[in-house]
Amino acid sequence: MHINFSISLKLTLLVVTISAIVIFSLTYVNIQQQSEFFEDAYYEKAFSLTKALDASIQNPDYLNDKQNVQNYIENFTSLNPDILKLSVNIPKENILYIFASTDVDSIDKPSGAYNDLSYEEGAVIYIPDHGENAHRLTMLAPMNLSGNIFGTYEMILSMDAAYNALDTQMRNLILISAISLFAMIFSFLYVLRRAIVKPIIIFRDATKVIGEGNLNKKIDIKSHDELGDLANAFNNMTTDLKNSRTKIEKYNKTLEKLLSQKDEFIGQLGHDLKNPLTPLIGLLPIITEQEKDPKLKEHLQLLTSNAEYMKELIFKTLQLAKLRSSNIQFDIQQLNLKNEIDVVLNRQQPLLKENMIHVENMVNEEILVQADKLRLEELLNNLVSNAVKYTPNENGTIIIDAVKDKHLITVSVKDNGIGMTKEQINRVFDEFYRADKSMHERDSTGLGLSIAKRIVEKHGGKIWVDSTGKGKGTTFYFSLKSGYGKNN
Amino acid sequence: MIVDDLPEITYTVKYGLEKLNPDYEVTRVESGKKCLEILNDSPIPDLIILDIMMPEMNGWELAKTLKKKIEWRKIPIIFLTATEDETSKITGRIIGEDFIEKPFEITDLKNKIEKVLAQKIQENKN
Repeated sequence: MHINFSISLKLTLLVVTISAIVIFSLTYVNIQQQSEFFEDAYYEKAFSLTKALDASIQNPDYLNDKQNVQNYIENFTSLNPDILKLSVNIPKENILYIFASTDVDSIDKPSGAYNDLSYEEGAVIYIPDHGENAHRLTMLAPMNLSGNIFGTYEMILSMDAAYNALDTQMRNLILISAISLFAMIFSFLYVLRRAIVKPIIIFRDATKVIGEGNLNKKIDIKSHDELGDLANAFNNMTTDLKNSRTKIEKYNKTLEKLLSQKDEFIGQLGHDLKNPLTPLIGLLPIITEQEKDPKLKEHLQLLTSNAEYMKELIFKTLQLAKLRSSNIQFDIQQLNLKNEIDVVLNRQQPLLKENMIHVENMVNEEILVQADKLRLEELLNNLVSNAVKYTPNENGTIIIDAVKDKHLITVSVKDNGIGMTKEQINRVFDEFYRADKSMHERDSTGLGLSIAKRIVEKHGGKIWVDSTGKGKGTTFYFSLKSGYGKNN
Repeated sequence: MIVDDLPEITYTVKYGLEKLNPDYEVTRVESGKKCLEILNDSPIPDLIILDIMMPEMNGWELAKTLKKKIEWRKIPIIFLTATEDETSKITGRIIGEDFIEKPFEITDLKNKIEKVLAQKIQENKN
């Protein structure tokens, strides 16, 4: 079973750190107190030992028999195994000399340290903090023979016995701490897993299953706590989701049926409209042509152009309905983009001339696209005529360019026309939407860009529009898959 | 000859074509069956404009019948279609000489007729 490590790890680390800090600081304080305590004990011991020594060497005459003193201190030392070194220092001409010592080599040499010891201060104790002498207590005590201070005793006591005992104790303490720490971690992990991680894993797996679309999944946690409440809420949520999904699916089916019925209806209506329109389209131009009365002729021209617009509307609506149907098939081939644009521009030449608009085809000659030839031409046609529609006659320019990025060609159709507002940009591909409301219906069906969008999307591409605002021109972009010619 | 079940279409074609070119004489026929009857009894027309979508006998069936008989096989056919799908356009070109999509301007129809007739004359010469 996979464990969610991150939560367990984070919480465990937190608990371990806190308990480690607590345990080790308690141990440290304990050791500190103990060592202070036994250092005091050693000081007392050293002090009483020098007292005993001083009491033994009562007679100053003793000092005349050097060998006797030497024997005495060696004997004294052997009785007290903690003593590492014991010297008796006697001043001669204001310098302390070692009179007798367990360190035989140092006898008769100046005692070195503590020469300036003030006898009035009494005993001096010295314990280095660390180093090899850290466990040694050095005591310097005045020699007080019948009230006359003659010299000093220097005694070095080993505290190893106590320190060893302390080390053992400390080792045991650390061992016990470590064992209890591990026991704590494992029991914590166990509780964590049972109480939190396991339910979380159940939730995670359930969410995954639900995410894959199986809304029948229920969570089985019956504990009477927050997690149990959460599980109940979760199960209620999935039940609700399931109900809504069933409803939505039902609606969707109805909607799909209605949509295809709508398309069928549009198709049927479009075809049926073609027949009654035929006499209008067929005869109106002839009658208009032959009419002599100028007023009547004008009326007939209006009828003709309206009939033409009706025809355009029917064709575009049918085209849109066809592009929407799923069984439409495209004849995808490799096309030279620049050539295709030139074909469209040639066809549009009369319109461009009439509106005095200059068009530049800046597309690289080597760019190939994968597209259906007729649909691509229709798409370019719609974009160019749209640009013409919204570009004023004076100094009107349309620039067509294309950029290749890996396997995608992005074509841009840029005009310096009236531009668009954000609202217009959002709605420009909607069916029957006209950016310029004042534009007469006869000039635009409001379907050209919807058709363009369908064509691009059926090719697997995207179409979008960009404008810096009113009066600043508009750029339409669309992307198509790149072809793979010799040079690509 | 114009064959269509809708009288307004046959009227439009007859009136329009005769107006544009007084030399044309257009016969209005309202069904495939009637067309075959007329062909049996009257002189063979120079060209037939044939609607595809007709009840009882549709344009394709009538065209097939015409192509089976030697005297009628050579009559050029221009199909009238209301659908814009590619297959009927291509089929129209294979079985007949040309096609035109409703609604159409009579001038366009006239141009197509002239083109088809010119081709016919060219073929007859060869």
